[in-house]
Amino acid sequence: MTPAGLTPRLERAFNPKTVAVVGDKRAMGYMWLHSMKTFAGKLYSVQIDPAEIPGIEALEVPNYPSLTDIPEDIDYVLCAVPRPVAARIVADCAKKQVGAVALFTSGFAETETEEGIDAQQQVTEIARENDLLLIGPNCMGLYNRRLGVRHSPDQEHGDAGNVGFISQSGTHCINFALVGATHGIKCSKTVSFGNAVLLDAPDYIDYLEQDAETEVIAIYIEGTKDGPRLLRSLKAAAARKPVVVWRGGTSTAGSRAVYSHTASLAAAPAVWSAAMRQAGVIETDGLDETIDAVKALVYCKPATGKRMGLVAMTGGQSVVITDAFEREGMEVPLLTPASYEKLASFFNIIGGSYRNPLDAGGTIGMGFVPGNLQKLFEILEEDENVDAIAMEVSGTFIARRLRDNPSIMNGLLDILAAQRERSAKPFLTITHPSHVEDVMADVRRKLLDRGVAAFTSFRSAARALALATAYWASRHNGA
Amino acid sequence: MAPLMVTLSEAIERARNEDRSVLTEVESKQILAAAGIPVAETTLAASADEAAKAAANAGFPVVLKIVSPDVTHKSDVGGVRVGLEDEAAVRAAYDEIVAAVAERQPKARIEGVAVQAMARPGTEVIVGMSKDPQFGPVLMFGLGGIFVEVLKDVAFRIVPLEERDAREMIDEINGRAILDGVRGGEPADIGALTGLLLQLSTFSEANPQVEELDLNPVFAYKDGCLAVDARIVVSSDK
Repeated sequence: MTPAGLTPRLERAFNPKTVAVVGDKRAMGYMWLHSMKTFAGKLYSVQIDPAEIPGIEALEVPNYPSLTDIPEDIDYVLCAVPRPVAARIVADCAKKQVGAVALFTSGFAETETEEGIDAQQQVTEIARENDLLLIGPNCMGLYNRRLGVRHSPDQEHGDAGNVGFISQSGTHCINFALVGATHGIKCSKTVSFGNAVLLDAPDYIDYLEQDAETEVIAIYIEGTKDGPRLLRSLKAAAARKPVVVWRGGTSTAGSRAVYSHTASLAAAPAVWSAAMRQAGVIETDGLDETIDAVKALVYCKPATGKRMGLVAMTGGQSVVITDAFEREGMEVPLLTPASYEKLASFFNIIGGSYRNPLDAGGTIGMGFVPGNLQKLFEILEEDENVDAIAMEVSGTFIARRLRDNPSIMNGLLDILAAQRERSAKPFLTITHPSHVEDVMADVRRKLLDRGVAAFTSFRSAARALALATAYWASRHNGA
Repeated sequence: MAPLMVTLSEAIERARNEDRSVLTEVESKQILAAAGIPVAETTLAASADEAAKAAANAGFPVVLKIVSPDVTHKSDVGGVRVGLEDEAAVRAAYDEIVAAVAERQPKARIEGVAVQAMARPGTEVIVGMSKDPQFGPVLMFGLGGIFVEVLKDVAFRIVPLEERDAREMIDEINGRAILDGVRGGEPADIGALTGLLLQLSTFSEANPQVEELDLNPVFAYKDGCLAVDARIVVSSDK
């Protein structure tokens, strides 16, 4: 049951001025206080165990014996107390009229025990009776990158992000932000919602749909109590911004694991996929694919066309990059006669070819003949048979030069960044798996820093672009 | 003889009184026809004479099928006769069906036989509705015969459907090209199939007591479509 006037209330919780952590302790390495140390507002601790208080004071966080003793309003509470104490803290949150409380505490219905189910019922009733926003239980709560409200001490903070993540699992919620960050994805706000006794996935979807900071929404979900409502929320959100849904528990044994994880039932995979298609969202499987799809949505210009212009360094790579894109439903067409005429004037066909894919290593000096690489981009840009452009960046022949000569690396990055800047078409690069993975990771990171979509394999790039293209095409058709 | 037209609530009440949740073919078709869904007109006949008269009204050739709340797989018990060309053949078939069912399933209550004109063959498709514990009523669409039975080539959408959903689910099946007409077959009227799916979506939404719905087969023609057989399962509680 969604509480009334939810949006402004979630706005308060997601953008707190004051945060209290209840029950953090040495045994957890004061994980929550370390995570919240970056919070831009006022941080408080609540702990009554005298053995824990010196450790908390050492972190310079003011500690109180009770929430109700804190001398100002609290917008967001993270509660990490053991289960037997949870109900009392939730009651204090209600008394204090806090903006929202996230229960990190677990051991509720997901244990499938009578005590767990009873305890869940108890905290739910307290929250309901007092109109308290309860997130979880059995969750990691909220992350706001801009404000430094975090649920992991390793999460980035300070500058704003544009991707919202909603997760039934705490680990996937943290991982999306952490691993996503290494792929150039900056989260705006994320929430791990756990057992969802009061607030469920659709509530957070509705909130992020209208959140101006959030441009793409990604979701990890295992099941839902109210399928039609989830479908409505997804559909409404997907009509405004891209939505990526990764569902866990689609295998037979996986669906069994879902129940003991968050006490929800899993729909038949075919029905689930149908619902996702009907909602107009992108369905993904796994963290990698989810991150790749989000990356394509964030970094590539929105486009509905499937026709690729491909640039590879060698013959073998030309073949397999083409296979990868075609297998994902993209097309690799012949170019226009005008393009071929231009290409014929300078393209090095000894050990190369230019029908599309462009086997261009010789022509562009593996990326180090900037003039020719730029000419190739210009031709593909103008070619009306080409909707999107992808280029292989491999370490096979150039790793040493990239590593030893920063000006060479920067020269290549400059051309790729300029192409991304100039191009009206989706542009992506693939930093192909390499014997010098550290160099390629460095190149990838630098490309992403400069706004260029960079993927780790042909297949992942092709898949991500195909998913993004399908989303934009579906939205285009639905309009 | 049963009332000429039965409403859904009457059929449900009768079914509950008889401790069954599956409506008979005649009941199912009358309910769907009343909702504007194209079904082959079927008349219940409780005697050989009634069957002959109904057949003359429907136009030859006709099909006779057993009507019994206890029989779900009609042909397995000798309950179906097709291609009956005249009244004499219908009378004989009536007696044979009743005798066959009585012999093979002696406890089956026999209401009579359903008489319907042989439908002009078309591309066989199936349309169904079942309930998902999380999403509620879900429509299924597929090609009939081995496509659904062996290849499981079906598409789903959650009720309520928009026209776009209906079109997409038709386009989604692997055997979609068959609906364009292959080996000289006529193409299927996609607009009519879309309309049928939307009607069933509306019907399922308006009648939550309906737990399952099977239109199998539906003949798709180049102009329109027709459900030749239909089965409604209602919730058994309350």
